[in-house]
Amino acid sequence: MRRPVWVIVGAVVVVLATAAVSGALPDPDAVDFSTILAAPSSGHVLGTDQLGRDVAARLVAGGRLTLGISVLTVLVTGFVGIALGLLTGYRAAAASRLLLRVVDVMAALPSVLFGLVAAAVLGPGLPSLLLAVWVVGWTPFARQAYQLTIREMAREYIEGAVSIGAGRTRVLVQHVFRNIAPPLVAHGCVRFAGTMLTVSGLSFLGLGVQPPTPEWGAMVAEGREYLFVAPHVVVVPSVAVVLVAAAASVVGRRLERHAARAE
Amino acid sequence: MLLRRLSPLPFVLLGASVLVFALPRLTGADIARTVLRARVDSDVPDAATQARVAAEFGLDGSAVEQYLRWLAATMRGDLGLSFVTRSSVSVQVLQAVSVSGVLMAAALGLALAVGVPAGVYAANRPGGLVDRVTSAAGIVGVAIPEFVLAPWLVLIAAVGLGVLPAAGWGDPRHAVLPVLTLSAYPMALVAQLLRSETVEVLTYEHIRVARSKGLTRTRVLWRHAARLSLTSVTALSGMFVAGLLGGSVVVEVVFGIPGLGRLLYDSVLARDLPVLQAATMVVIAVAVVGGVVVELAQLALDPVARRPRR
Repeated sequence: MRRPVWVIVGAVVVVLATAAVSGALPDPDAVDFSTILAAPSSGHVLGTDQLGRDVAARLVAGGRLTLGISVLTVLVTGFVGIALGLLTGYRAAAASRLLLRVVDVMAALPSVLFGLVAAAVLGPGLPSLLLAVWVVGWTPFARQAYQLTIREMAREYIEGAVSIGAGRTRVLVQHVFRNIAPPLVAHGCVRFAGTMLTVSGLSFLGLGVQPPTPEWGAMVAEGREYLFVAPHVVVVPSVAVVLVAAAASVVGRRLERHAARAE
Repeated sequence: MLLRRLSPLPFVLLGASVLVFALPRLTGADIARTVLRARVDSDVPDAATQARVAAEFGLDGSAVEQYLRWLAATMRGDLGLSFVTRSSVSVQVLQAVSVSGVLMAAALGLALAVGVPAGVYAANRPGGLVDRVTSAAGIVGVAIPEFVLAPWLVLIAAVGLGVLPAAGWGDPRHAVLPVLTLSAYPMALVAQLLRSETVEVLTYEHIRVARSKGLTRTRVLWRHAARLSLTSVTALSGMFVAGLLGGSVVVEVVFGIPGLGRLLYDSVLARDLPVLQAATMVVIAVAVVGGVVVELAQLALDPVARRPRR
């Protein structure tokens, strides 16, 4: 193990996950006014927030939501984006070009803008958050899948498959997708980091998951008022956000390099 | 060449304008009613008042009629009146853009001033001290969102050291923390991309030729390698523009800066549709035009790209 940091991070995650599963953590919504903004102690491992709620319990509950939304988003948008990318890459058509223009324009826009607009249309909340991240999320997948498909379609074995009568679905699923899957998985890992930052960022702005539901970004926002008296309320969830995002992008990069080398 | 790059712009902006115009209508809510609610906080306005407000904001007539009227007014620079304050939206947007422009330019300048040398020097000696520091800082810089970095910097600078104000806008000291916060992501991105590009470029033939001509290492690194790798980094400029625009929303909200992001955010919370529409349109325009501008910069840097492709 060359990087002891990741071992420590892994250990903390395992401990928190075990504590959550075994029921050792208190109820994340249990208010206790006798211990408001308490520093970490043996009773509350990561301290308590402005309502005396256990920060460790809220971290785990919030992580379930933040990470759950992000995983779901990457799966949904990945499926849609990759399917569109494969189809547009299969044959050059006017519709494909138009789709790629749309992807280009959308990729140039900040994801926060979609969150703001979605919140204006639907009202801030989980539905507007999901709408925002799903509307933009498929575009990088589509672009990546399109470029990989174009490259793959030019290969000889595809010509071979077509010449023995393989149809569009068979060529795309059986041949192209199977061969371009590794870089797409790596891309999904990187997208997971980006999606999580958007999800928690919008919740931080009050446009996503609403308090008192614990969510990492919303926790940072709630704790910001008490930054000077009890910094741990902000520091704990924000460290979690940064560590997960960094880990996911490091893993994604490594997978990307691995996939590129396997070429 | 130039024309080909610029020609899709009007279509993109026109398409965006239709969407932006349609957005508030997608809510399904009666706009005149929303206005009244924003103004007087009452849920049951009488019909006469509602009709008067509808006329006042140009909400009468068919949807196409409304769109054309709105588009014509927007082209003239008249963005209407805010639902909430009844003051001119154009004035508000202009003020906000000038603030955000300063903030984003400063952040981008800082990001390039640090990120470019860091990336190039890291590539010059892979595995060296600069490289290791850059790659570690790069991982954190890309993973750390503005809403995390901002409170941390406030904690360190305003509370720990007691040297800088935690929020506000006006004198240059106010700008330090926001600019630092906003520059982190583009800085890390530039350094990382430039490092990997330069490492690859340094293996190219023309680098070996330049060295064998007897040019100094520094000259080869900057004139021959960095210039080429910079062009491929500018190709990814959309990420920077989008990152700065998105980041400025959070930064301006956190630090209380009266910029475009803040205006957009406040208009969403207040359901102030003309402001929301105008600010959204400006953000889209900046993102799209910014992309083209950087593409042109890429042409200036890279002689190969100037040649027409097949």
